[in-house]
Amino acid sequence: MTKNDEAAQAVRNFVRVANIIANLDTILTEAKNLSLTAKNARVVALRAGDSAFGFKPITNFIDEFSDLTIKTTKQISQLSSQLFSIALSVVRCSDFQHHLNACAKHSQSKAINHLQRGINRELMQTIKQLESVIDHLESYFEDIKKQMRSAEYIAVTSRVEASNAGEFSESLQSVSDFITGAAKKIKSAIHNNLKEINQLKGALR
Amino acid sequence: MKATEIYSSATHIWLVLGRDSNKPNNIIDTNQYLIKSANEAIILDPGGIELFSPMLASILKHVSLEQVTTLFASHQDPDIISSLGLWDKALPQATLHAPWLWEGFIRHFGMDNISYQPIKDEGGEIKIGKTTLRFVPAHYLHSSGNFNVYDPTAKILMSGDIGAALEKGEPPMFVEDFASHVKHMEYFHRRWMPSNRAKENWIARVKELEIDIMAPQHGRIFKGETVQEFLEWFSRLDVGCACK
Repeated sequence: MTKNDEAAQAVRNFVRVANIIANLDTILTEAKNLSLTAKNARVVALRAGDSAFGFKPITNFIDEFSDLTIKTTKQISQLSSQLFSIALSVVRCSDFQHHLNACAKHSQSKAINHLQRGINRELMQTIKQLESVIDHLESYFEDIKKQMRSAEYIAVTSRVEASNAGEFSESLQSVSDFITGAAKKIKSAIHNNLKEINQLKGALR
Repeated sequence: MKATEIYSSATHIWLVLGRDSNKPNNIIDTNQYLIKSANEAIILDPGGIELFSPMLASILKHVSLEQVTTLFASHQDPDIISSLGLWDKALPQATLHAPWLWEGFIRHFGMDNISYQPIKDEGGEIKIGKTTLRFVPAHYLHSSGNFNVYDPTAKILMSGDIGAALEKGEPPMFVEDFASHVKHMEYFHRRWMPSNRAKENWIARVKELEIDIMAPQHGRIFKGETVQEFLEWFSRLDVGCACK
């Protein structure tokens, strides 16, 4: 790979980071909707009384994992601003490295060699920082993935419980459908992000 | 990139760097200036990203990196200072002097290390080694926050876009015949310069200065009589033609 390609690669990696961050919005929106759904479901379950007795603990579960997902997503958001700034540093270092290499073709100056050594070191350190933040990010996404598996189990259980809720059955069924839909969207965003992370890791190796 | 000495004395030298034969065809040619005095050097309008590598290679033939303590940007345009993000890595200890008006804009080029020293609207002075340079207001010519650099010892006015000419190929470094040079700069001044009032204000200001060399950021440099010829021609020129 030429230095010019490396600079282009750094920009491509930056775009991957931007894609990951854009996907966070989907996760956060769906997690907030899940939390709202849990609150609505609790009200319906209260109205349904004994016929929706089994549904009450389910709303607590929905609340729990949606809160957890929101919390994890917010942690990811904080990490993502750091990720953006490091990815930008990689782009700038690569760009500087590329220009220095062009400069070295026309100059025998020791100062250029000195700058080249300095920027090579800085670039390696910045890439290491980027790798470390990406590892953190990956583990956060794996956590959300587990939370979404729980959400799918809960959706199945809540569907069973909803069928016993008499006249409230339809309302509670729609809660189950919503959980299934939201979990699916979040899982898809996570899947895309883990794919981007894999490609990013591959490109940094 | 060619480096031509335009002034030399016991205290300092002026170099113009430009006419880069490897420059991509579709970008405008620019003149960058390097002033070295004692152990310090300043680069005036360091240029765009595309020119960073030849500029760096060229400058290192004349000064060491440690000597380049200061950068000056006459205004915010990309051909003036878009290389800032790269100089920021090459000269982390340097200070950039530029119009206060553009600080928040110029920082978009990337500036983590270099310090920004805003120039007030009235202008100011800076000491480089054993010489003192003046920042002369040239607002609205063409940028709304804009400065020239005047060296009273060398009697050189670095005039930025004022006096600029857009000539194809590799024109000579100096204006030889003013009358034949006008065709290369007339449209530029009529179209890029927005205000006759600003033009008159600037002419009155620089007429107070003793100028042997007027050094623009594009095209040929004016020397001797051609400086006065330019001032007379410019005072007659009606600018801001896009709004007529």
